[in-house]
Amino acid sequence: MDNPTEQNERKVEDLPLHGIKAVEAAQGVAGPFCGRLLAAFGADVVKVERQPLGDWSRHIGPFLAGDNHAESSALYLYNNTGKKSVLIDWETDAGRDDLVSLVSKADILVEDWDLSYRKTSGLAVDRFAAENPGLIDLCVTPFGLTGPYSGWKSTPIVQMALGGYLSITGEPTEEPLMLPGRQPDYLAGLNAHNAVEIALFQRDMTGVGQLIEVSMIETLANLHQITLEMDGAVRKRNGHRQSALSTRPFPPGLATLPADDGYVTFGGGSPAIWEQLCLMIGSEDFFANSDIDDTTGFAKLLDDMEGLLKTWMKGRTKREIFLEASRDWMLPVAPVQELDEVLADPQYNDRGLFQEIDHPVAGKAVYPTLPFVAPGTTQTLGRAPLLGEHTEEILGR
Amino acid sequence: MSTPETSASRAGGALSGVRVVDLTRVWAGPLGTRTLGDFGAEVIKVSDPRLPADRLGGLYAKLNRNKSSIGLRLDTEVGRRIFLELVAVSDIVVENFRPRVMRNLDLGWDAIREANPSIVMCAMPGFGAEGPYADFPAFGSTGEAMSGVSSLIGYEPGKSLQSGMSYADPVSALNLVGVVMTYLRRSRLTGRGQYIDLALADSPVLMIGEHLVASSATAQTPTLQGNKRPDYAPHGAYRAKGDDKWVAISVTNDDEWQALCSVIGDDRLLDARFSKLSGRKDNEEQLDAVVSEWTGRREPVDVMTQLQAAGVPAGRVATNQDLLADPHLAARDYFVDLDEPEIGLKRYDGQSIIGNYLDKFRWRAAPILGQDSRRVLVNLLGYSDGECEVLGSDGTTVFND
Repeated sequence: MDNPTEQNERKVEDLPLHGIKAVEAAQGVAGPFCGRLLAAFGADVVKVERQPLGDWSRHIGPFLAGDNHAESSALYLYNNTGKKSVLIDWETDAGRDDLVSLVSKADILVEDWDLSYRKTSGLAVDRFAAENPGLIDLCVTPFGLTGPYSGWKSTPIVQMALGGYLSITGEPTEEPLMLPGRQPDYLAGLNAHNAVEIALFQRDMTGVGQLIEVSMIETLANLHQITLEMDGAVRKRNGHRQSALSTRPFPPGLATLPADDGYVTFGGGSPAIWEQLCLMIGSEDFFANSDIDDTTGFAKLLDDMEGLLKTWMKGRTKREIFLEASRDWMLPVAPVQELDEVLADPQYNDRGLFQEIDHPVAGKAVYPTLPFVAPGTTQTLGRAPLLGEHTEEILGR
Repeated sequence: MSTPETSASRAGGALSGVRVVDLTRVWAGPLGTRTLGDFGAEVIKVSDPRLPADRLGGLYAKLNRNKSSIGLRLDTEVGRRIFLELVAVSDIVVENFRPRVMRNLDLGWDAIREANPSIVMCAMPGFGAEGPYADFPAFGSTGEAMSGVSSLIGYEPGKSLQSGMSYADPVSALNLVGVVMTYLRRSRLTGRGQYIDLALADSPVLMIGEHLVASSATAQTPTLQGNKRPDYAPHGAYRAKGDDKWVAISVTNDDEWQALCSVIGDDRLLDARFSKLSGRKDNEEQLDAVVSEWTGRREPVDVMTQLQAAGVPAGRVATNQDLLADPHLAARDYFVDLDEPEIGLKRYDGQSIIGNYLDKFRWRAAPILGQDSRRVLVNLLGYSDGECEVLGSDGTTVFND
């Protein structure tokens, strides 16, 4: 029942998941980020929240409105664009019946229940499939449903520690550093979305749904730049420099260095880049005299090269360095952009990466949309819902 | 398309019957297409026949398992024609060159779509196919810098560092899978193809969305302060027993704080200053000193196990070797052992989506350049043995079967 006006405005039928219904009981970031992508691709996503607090991310700062935090958490607003919110307390018998009934008409359920929660809350693994054999039940948790850590508690820093990310970021003699915000949750959210799309594709052929598990720890373990085995070596953190990716020699030249007004990251890793960098800064002799095959001399070579680069960078802004290196020398070099610079970046804006969204409580803000351009398909994001905003529409009460 | 099956599991994996033409090199592209191969898609790597892969170190093996390989010169008329014939019988094309490369080969979207109107093509340029930076090169690390992620990593205000992850790479690899699968499904339903421009530098921006939303509305930016967080204390990596051994502890509420106190059993923690979050934040240095004293005498694994048993979020700071020996991952049968030509049997990371992927005993090691050239040319595209001989001798392809 397409409404012609709506068609003209959003061309919803062009969106790849038009007609797909998803129910999201997951909270926080991982499951909701997956649901956000489903909604952006055109699925009808109903977020189920429990009274009185709703999704826990509603209570995490920063907040955009001082007096009504539950409707103005940036974390919640960002991860729940384009969804509907319905209040159901699935920990009560009546609420569980409502949830089962809602899920029985859905294609996808996104949840984050571990085994012990399922037991205490009457949400057995096969609870929903019995009513709806075509259902894709995506279960995203920190450690998965089985295994020795499956009952453990997780936070972003704990997950990054166990997943091997902490040990490779930060200064060699200082405390290992975490990545900002909630990276394990976001990464698992992307992986959960991948899992759902693969399962939807399969269901088109078989007519049968399935339960799919995505854990943060396995998602993280999959994304290391190196073979974990690394010929028996341990990859260490290396401060502002990129750590070696293998035990083999590599041409150095990858670091984040100070410009007059901030930092610049220099990509490296090949003799050609090393040579081009030397040409750019007028140090051809240094390249000619560098023995890049001599692994024992790497440390000194890097120190010397950094010294030359830093001298050259004096009196230049990070943007001047970026443009000169990229445009004139075809070098992979980029400024370390602050958040306001990211929001104002001409390339990101040329691609339509950001969209201003108005919200009745939180007001106007700029939101990242989707990380790609797919010509011919509209990708206008709707705002995040108020707590229980669509309860009456969906439950009829 | 395969005939419908009634079971939730398909013997060849969820994506059996899907064919992917893979032109990607280096890291983000190959990791993304690896997932498609793990799930049973036929991923055909198309590579320059003059450039055999560098297999040493195992990185190529890690990223290219469950794929086939054809050597093919795209810069010759006959090679280009064969490539488009392959596109015509495939579902997905992925490439991660700079934008001008495919244009110069006359293999842009118009040529690809003409060969196969229902194909899904994903380009993975550094900054995008168009726009002021379109021709600039980018790496995972420089994409991370551009995106704002690096600006949020560091010990003190004004001094940012890069992650050890070249973060634009892994995030783009994940995005590749989701976006091509989304449009492949629509292609199967409607016959409509799709061109997708997935820029390396875009992907990490989405991973700090809440900070960008807040910055746009209220100019709030998180202060660089290492692992410290305004809402949690104690929070950070604490030195443990041994050389460069650490354990992360992250107390997010007062219950977890009480549990931590009873495990550590040090009276100094019972000081009233520490009983609430605000007091723990105000006196964080003294608090961390007591916690570090306790962790410093213990193995990271012991600290983690003891604290988790008491309900306190904690995890040892694992190295790549620790991860490979992790008992939880082993219990979940996460790893895979593959016998690689030239480097032998090694253990690799497995599949992180616990769904209908190809049974692991059927996983194949990464291909040698051209090992599938003949099969693709003869079985798939209908070339004769005689024609193959010419294509091999004039350098259009290479045979290593």
